[in-house]
Amino acid sequence: MTLSILIFLPIAFMILVALLPSSLNHTFKYITLAVSIVQLIIAGFMYTHFNHSLPGVFNEQTFQFVEKHSWINLNLGTLGKLQIQYFLGVDGISIGLLILSAFVMAIAALASWEIKTNEKGYFCLFLLLNAAIMGVFSALDFFLFYIFYELMLLPLYFLIGIWGGARREYASIKFFLYTLLGSVFMLLVIIGLYFSVKDPVTGAHTFDMLSMMNPANYVQGSVFDIHSSTLLFGVSPRLLAFAVLFIAFAIKVPIVPLHTWLPDAHVEAPTPISIILAGVLLKIGGYGIIRICMGIFPDGAIYFSWVIGLIGVVSIIYGAMSALAASDLKRLIAYSSVSHMGFVLLGIASLTVEGISGAMFQMISHGVLSSMLFFLVGVIYNRVHDRDIANFRGLYSQMPTYSVFVFIAFFASLGLPGFSAFIAEAFSLIGAFNSNSIPRWMAVVGAVGILLGAAYFLWTLQRMFFGKTRFKGGEEWQSQLSDVNTREIIALSPMAVVALVLGIMPFLFFDMSNSAMVELVNSTLKSGSLHLETLSKLLN
Amino acid sequence: MQVESIKLIETQHITTVIGAALGALLLPLLSFLIIGFIKPRKSDWLSIFFSFVSFLLSVYCFINTWNSEIHHFTWQWLNTGVIKLNAGIKIDNLSSLMLVLVTLITTLVLIYSTEYMKGEKYYNRYFAHLSLFMFSMLGVVLADSLLLIYIFWELVGFSSYLLIGFWFDRDSAAAANKKAFIVNRIGDIAFFVGIMILFTQFRTLDLSALFGTAGKAGLIQQSVVENGMWKFVDVFGQAKTLDSWMLTAAGLCIFAGAVAKSAQFPLHVWLPDAMEGPTSVSSLIHAATMVAAGVYLTARVYPLFNPDALTVIASIGAFTAFMAATIALTQNDLKKVLAYSTISQLGFMIAALGIGAWQAALFHLVTHAFFKCLLFLGAGSVIHQLHHVQHKHHLDFDPQDMRLMGGLRKQMPVTYLVLLVASLSLAGLPLFSGFLSKDLILIGAWSGEKPGSTIVAVLLSVTSALTAFYIFRMIFKVFWAENRLQKTVENIDVSVHESGKSMTIPMVVLAIFSLFAAFSINPLHGTHSWIYEGLIVPLNSFSPKIQYMEFAESWVPIITVVLAVAMILVARFAYYKQKMTFLSKQSFLYKFSYNAWYFDKLYNSVIVKSVVLLANSIRWFDTNIVDGFVNGTASVVQSLSAIVDWIDRNIVDGFVNGIAALAGRLGNLIRGFQTGRVQQYMALGVFGLILIIVLSYIF
Amino acid sequence: MLNGIPLEHFVIVSAVLFSAGLFSVLSRKNAIMILIGIELMINAGILNLVVFGAFDKQKNEGQVFALFAIVLAAAGVAVALAIILNVYRQFKTVEPNQVEEMKY
Repeated sequence: MTLSILIFLPIAFMILVALLPSSLNHTFKYITLAVSIVQLIIAGFMYTHFNHSLPGVFNEQTFQFVEKHSWINLNLGTLGKLQIQYFLGVDGISIGLLILSAFVMAIAALASWEIKTNEKGYFCLFLLLNAAIMGVFSALDFFLFYIFYELMLLPLYFLIGIWGGARREYASIKFFLYTLLGSVFMLLVIIGLYFSVKDPVTGAHTFDMLSMMNPANYVQGSVFDIHSSTLLFGVSPRLLAFAVLFIAFAIKVPIVPLHTWLPDAHVEAPTPISIILAGVLLKIGGYGIIRICMGIFPDGAIYFSWVIGLIGVVSIIYGAMSALAASDLKRLIAYSSVSHMGFVLLGIASLTVEGISGAMFQMISHGVLSSMLFFLVGVIYNRVHDRDIANFRGLYSQMPTYSVFVFIAFFASLGLPGFSAFIAEAFSLIGAFNSNSIPRWMAVVGAVGILLGAAYFLWTLQRMFFGKTRFKGGEEWQSQLSDVNTREIIALSPMAVVALVLGIMPFLFFDMSNSAMVELVNSTLKSGSLHLETLSKLLN
Repeated sequence: MQVESIKLIETQHITTVIGAALGALLLPLLSFLIIGFIKPRKSDWLSIFFSFVSFLLSVYCFINTWNSEIHHFTWQWLNTGVIKLNAGIKIDNLSSLMLVLVTLITTLVLIYSTEYMKGEKYYNRYFAHLSLFMFSMLGVVLADSLLLIYIFWELVGFSSYLLIGFWFDRDSAAAANKKAFIVNRIGDIAFFVGIMILFTQFRTLDLSALFGTAGKAGLIQQSVVENGMWKFVDVFGQAKTLDSWMLTAAGLCIFAGAVAKSAQFPLHVWLPDAMEGPTSVSSLIHAATMVAAGVYLTARVYPLFNPDALTVIASIGAFTAFMAATIALTQNDLKKVLAYSTISQLGFMIAALGIGAWQAALFHLVTHAFFKCLLFLGAGSVIHQLHHVQHKHHLDFDPQDMRLMGGLRKQMPVTYLVLLVASLSLAGLPLFSGFLSKDLILIGAWSGEKPGSTIVAVLLSVTSALTAFYIFRMIFKVFWAENRLQKTVENIDVSVHESGKSMTIPMVVLAIFSLFAAFSINPLHGTHSWIYEGLIVPLNSFSPKIQYMEFAESWVPIITVVLAVAMILVARFAYYKQKMTFLSKQSFLYKFSYNAWYFDKLYNSVIVKSVVLLANSIRWFDTNIVDGFVNGTASVVQSLSAIVDWIDRNIVDGFVNGIAALAGRLGNLIRGFQTGRVQQYMALGVFGLILIIVLSYIF
Repeated sequence: MLNGIPLEHFVIVSAVLFSAGLFSVLSRKNAIMILIGIELMINAGILNLVVFGAFDKQKNEGQVFALFAIVLAAAGVAVALAIILNVYRQFKTVEPNQVEEMKY
């Protein structure tokens, strides 16, 4: 029940908010915050009750907090039976992200204080988004996953399109179309998988992800059967399906060159939505690649590891370079996200336990740090409605406490040891360096990305925070740029603390995910290479 | 010292020695946190107290471990099944020596700072940051694994960033701290790559396991290079083989970290700029401790270097020493002279490591830490007083410019004396500590047997002579001749007075440590000094230990001293008597030296500009090509749909509408006949009838 | 018969008469003149009837029809005149060109 509560609590309160009269406008934010805090408490409960020794990943028995109910059962006559389940559960891969989501949603709720127009609509959509995110991370039925996945898009589209900045319509449409492009193809693969896989118990076709991960459940001669020698467009359908799913999720991550929705969406979105986008949405890409792409098509993961690694490295360097050239602070941070998420891909491509653990840890760490960064941008944007780096100077003297938080966030992001990003990047790089599937130079080039990270963050510090205080808006800005208030400190401190705690005690996370990672990597390597062997035999 | 007599204590419990070391490590952190969060009023004395306690604990560790025990405390930090990482403390002779050195100098500098930094707006923050630095530096010294060293290594860089940018509202300081951090980051990245190479191969980063301890060979020493292959066993006992260039690469990568931190060519450019920080910071961080961390690291991982790597190290060290000394000759900024001097001396240490004079390098590290710290503090004392003058009379001049100084020895006798001691020590004259260590390096360099080692030896000897010259140029310019500032402002009294006790006492203490007696009973030869004997050269299976040649041992010191004295006399002649000039300021060599061999310009125009250019072109690429492609696709789709729309409206709908329009037109046409005129109807009727008749007649 | 005047001549006269009537009907502007033209056309028809009756030796049916037609024509003229009178009352004119109500 825990997961259902986590998912449906926001929906229940969404209905409540929708029903309450608009005269109670000012209470909506408190309701939303309360919901997020309750979710955070539930997540904390799950963390303490999570059994570290159960690996999950492939075996339903070792998943935790499982809920499995049959949902849609249709007898299609000669086509067999349609079986869609309401199947939720968490393991070492998803638990961290689930807790992160609850955390980020609470921060985003605190950041939503800045929303002053049409609160009812905003908070309804916000709660709906919250539910969808929780659903994505806990769904184990592919159909259910897809529903939650698409359900996220709808509120986001409106949240960016209505409450966003100057070019909000352009940004929201771009974001929507990009994601939809990926998910449409994903749907094709889902249908293909559905026709290829049968539930071993009921014998019906199923959307159950865990059944899809077991090659024994594939119908002989079906499209995705590993023993089938049918080719689609001259390539193995399994490899093609991996590529399609990978692109669908990689758009979310995002990867260069499919990244341009991100700076626009992040820049135009209101602060809380930027926080959610960077803190949670990007992680769905990485999560999908690890859980679904690797889990269902391990052969593809091995076959394409070189390409994925290359994409990761290119994203790291390209994102960092773009950030270096950015003149808008929010755009800089958006590009730094591209760069940081490149480490996730690099770690995944390594196909080593260190690498993938590093990738997972990078997602958690980046979730916290990018939320903090976007929150910090929101602070000055709220005050003067400007965030051009060139328009600020000597902010340190003007807003000392704020600057301390910026210092922490910047240095944590550029990988200062003691903060989470360092551990994450170190593990990803060590994994990549140690990998048999990708060449060593990728790790070395990835390390250069850390250097560039220092360059753009420090340059920003130099330009915006040091020197004599001078603002574009002159005296007016000087009076408006007050230091952070209590609410902002309450929101910022937990993020700084979490980044620090995870940096000093990374085992808090690694202990939780380790058995899942070992299981995932071992079996991916084993069954993946087996499949590839079968494939090459079939093709010769 | 006999290696065998040292007891190795591996522990997972906190013993008293470990506890003392932990206390010494954590007290500065505590001080940082207290000042940062609680903001007490007496933050200066709080940090001094903590640092002094830390010093006492270090002394306790030192007494209990020096030449008797090695303590190694480990604690499992991270165990993910596949990766096991330990965190721990290792106290051997080297680290306990460094521990005392760092805590002692930090305490002295903190005391000095109470006066030097008085009246600063962010006075408390200064002490907080200095405490953070002390914590990081002690971490580097105590860490038992490369990863832990790396972590504290970066923290050292971070606290140095904070301290260089202490006067953050100065643009030059804001640029300098960024430069320092980024240049250091370049080295850190290489260091990290080196760590990756070692970790992925040996599966451990523990210093003792890798490099051995107390005479035991570590995994590195056990490995062999055969037929171009590097064969070794990892920590799990698995035999592995790699190309032997990986060994060189691992060594050089880690060394690159040291190059950045110790400001060696080609990553030395940050240190002169780092002088933007307060002088007390420069003395502690950029002269005595942090920059020495690179030497310390190189010494720690020494067994990793094969002859190729050592050749590179020696060349870089010798070249840096020479280059920085030539630059120091012409600088007018008091602190810049000392900064380049520091680079030069660090080059000495690095070169010493490269030629195999491991003990001499670390010995020089210790002696240099004292006298260079003293030089900076003395310079700070001068600058501080001139700053007061500047403030008092609202004058506009640069208090660090030596061209405006002169004749200060009467006004600041203590400062003059301690600076003289430090300078003599730096110049390497007998009876001073610098002589002991530097001569050992030079003897080692001249004893080298490898081809090319003569070049290193010549470079170092020349540097040694240049050192005596530039440091006495400074002494004569600042303290002798007449006050040149007085000449520019004739009606104002610009005389200065001696600094207060909080500044002079630490300087005097440091001056005592710049004399030979602190290190050796024999003032003329360093091999019998207790530090030299206590520092045990780690085993290096890849390159042989250095043997001092007797010939060099007897002749090198004499020649060096003679050269140094000659240089001092020349400097006196030129800058006190002012009867001699060397190069005109227009000559190329002068400009070349004055502009620090144009490295800054070169890096700016080649590296920085090209990175910025690349970044801008990527931005252009991003907005115009990548996004252009996306937007282009969008507009292609839009125009396609416009075409479809046109077709829809004009052709598909046009067909339907066309039929309707045809019916309408026809109706309109026929309506024309309906005029309502009876006669017309009739006429038509008749005409029609006739037509029918005619037609029926025809067909 | 009929003094040897052949049938064709009568038919020609009748046709001329009809044509004159038709011309009058189509070209005159005055309704009365149109009516007169109609009368001419009717009379051309009656003439034909009479002539054909004369050539019909057995029954003289033509004469009977002629008489009948004359009566009808007279009645028609009466009706037509009445209509013209009413039209005049309505439109204050007897020119059919100006009476265009019929097209609606």
